[in-house]
Amino acid sequence: MIVLRSAEFRRAREHAWSRLDEMVSLVERKGIGALSADEAQEIALLYRSAASSLSVARNIALDRNLILYLENLTLRAYLVVYGPRRGVMQSLAAFFTGGFPRAVRKLAKHLVIVSAAMLIGIAAGYALVRADLENFSSLVPGLLAGGRGAGSTREELLSDELFAAWPGFVDAFVVFANSLFRHNAIVGIFCFGLGFALGVPTLLLVVYNGAVLGAFIALHAAKGLALDFVAWLAIHGVTEILAIFLCAAAGLSVAETVIFPGDLSRLSSLASRGREAAGVAAGAVAMFFIAGFIEGGFRQLVASTPGRGAFALATAALWALYFTRAGAGDD
Amino acid sequence: MTDRAASHVDRVSELFGGMKRKRRVIESPEGVALSVGIATRGERLYAFLIDIALMTVIIFCLYALVIPLFFSRADIQIGMTLILFLVFIVRNLYFTHFELAWQGRTPGKRICGLRVINRYGGELSPSAVIARNLTREVEFFLPLSLFASLGDAGTAAGLAALGWVLAIAALPLFNRDNLRAGDLIGGTMVIWMPRRALSGDLSLPAPDAAREAVYSFTREQLSVYGAFELQVLEELLRSPPNRDSDRVLSGVCAKIRIKIGWADEVPPGEVRRFLSDFYASERDDLERGQLFGRHRPDKTGTTPSRETAE
Repeated sequence: MIVLRSAEFRRAREHAWSRLDEMVSLVERKGIGALSADEAQEIALLYRSAASSLSVARNIALDRNLILYLENLTLRAYLVVYGPRRGVMQSLAAFFTGGFPRAVRKLAKHLVIVSAAMLIGIAAGYALVRADLENFSSLVPGLLAGGRGAGSTREELLSDELFAAWPGFVDAFVVFANSLFRHNAIVGIFCFGLGFALGVPTLLLVVYNGAVLGAFIALHAAKGLALDFVAWLAIHGVTEILAIFLCAAAGLSVAETVIFPGDLSRLSSLASRGREAAGVAAGAVAMFFIAGFIEGGFRQLVASTPGRGAFALATAALWALYFTRAGAGDD
Repeated sequence: MTDRAASHVDRVSELFGGMKRKRRVIESPEGVALSVGIATRGERLYAFLIDIALMTVIIFCLYALVIPLFFSRADIQIGMTLILFLVFIVRNLYFTHFELAWQGRTPGKRICGLRVINRYGGELSPSAVIARNLTREVEFFLPLSLFASLGDAGTAAGLAALGWVLAIAALPLFNRDNLRAGDLIGGTMVIWMPRRALSGDLSLPAPDAAREAVYSFTREQLSVYGAFELQVLEELLRSPPNRDSDRVLSGVCAKIRIKIGWADEVPPGEVRRFLSDFYASERDDLERGQLFGRHRPDKTGTTPSRETAE
């Protein structure tokens, strides 16, 4: 009767493996919350001993089933022990109170580039439309122009656009705010995602949006409504344009890691920066939600230019405070 | 050491599975090298389609819930807006939520035995999960909407944009680990990881038949084969007894008898017992040799020519 050394080894440890297997299966079925604090400690210990069993088994055993089982068990336990510990809600809370503003602070350089691109766009759009109002319709797509153009009179702009009647609570906060949010969020996500395409489409998108904005300013300036328009826009625009800036800066940061990977390989450089950049884009989506709310609901409710200006300045101050102060202690 | 052990295991898998799955070695923070099988493109597509189908079901349920609430004509617009908003939330949180809650698995991945892991062996962080799933919007939903809008704007610029976006969507076809853009940005990869069970140790006699080894073999007889053949024999012995496996085993038994010069006839009823005893003795011999640093990977005695180390 032969009793192999590897069979002895297995008999001595099999009990611990099956205990680990049970706990891992439990977590796989019900999530990490299914374990008590003691069990969470136990699983970490059992994982380490399974990992060392695997190393020993690879050296002393030729039992294929045993080695495959231990590899599988160790890997499963490893993914539990080093798996995500927090659910969506906890992750989100930690993110908005610290991770998001911290990640934004690292993008200062990219934000400068994006702002410059936007300013170039605004200047170009403004110059083109001031030179000839007819250029407005070729620069701004019909859907966005919404009937506004070279032919619009001062009175039309005032009554239909800048100081249009408040459409009522439901239409303002639910219908309009929502469609704005979805549209803007998708633009923002594309701005970020296209950064993967080396950043050029991102910058083009920013310049183009700037040009459209410049065209609108020029159109209103021609009718002597420049200030009213800027206030009308800025009440939500501060939040919305900032969010677009963040998405674009995140996209550029991704592009930068691909073009200039530094000491790391392209892939690991991308992975290290990409996560933070994607976080910034995700945070910007939440900002679009706020912007949509202001634009759909509050804008027509605050029907005076000074009021809108004050509101815009207040949001700007709040964002500035949030992005420079929040989570600063953990930097 | 590790590579050697992994190489027999892989060779046997290849022999029985017929397919060579691409593998990667990741290192845990404790320094244990873990070999993982990379999910094929087909498996990932299949998992994704299951998830899309499930999302469609969820969205239909939302319709069924919301529409009756806003049945009158005046309210239907509010209902539709609410639905569109919920669809947006579902589409963007579905993958992130499940990958965080279920250790890197969505329902589709779970059905297909797939998992998202950190490509560099560390913890799978929430930000990595968010990153890989935000990019999905650009990889999948953007080409989709570009296709939809191609009818009214079939310009050269539109086609160029479509081409570029499709190239990004096709990224998994062009790299070894089948990574998509989201995996690159999140530093993740998707692996295939079925659950394995621990079967009994074949070197021990079956619990119902308490008996001693009947057949014993000499050192010369045992030195004919190596670890690879041993593990092939193990796999055959583990196959459930039926007419087919019995026929294969008789063939193997005949071959082994010729090879090791076993003169006596082995009666058909004794084939399994003979092979089990041979397995136990052979494993004893090989494992003993391995303890003293004498490795015999297969019957030729040379290491396999195929490179397995990464």
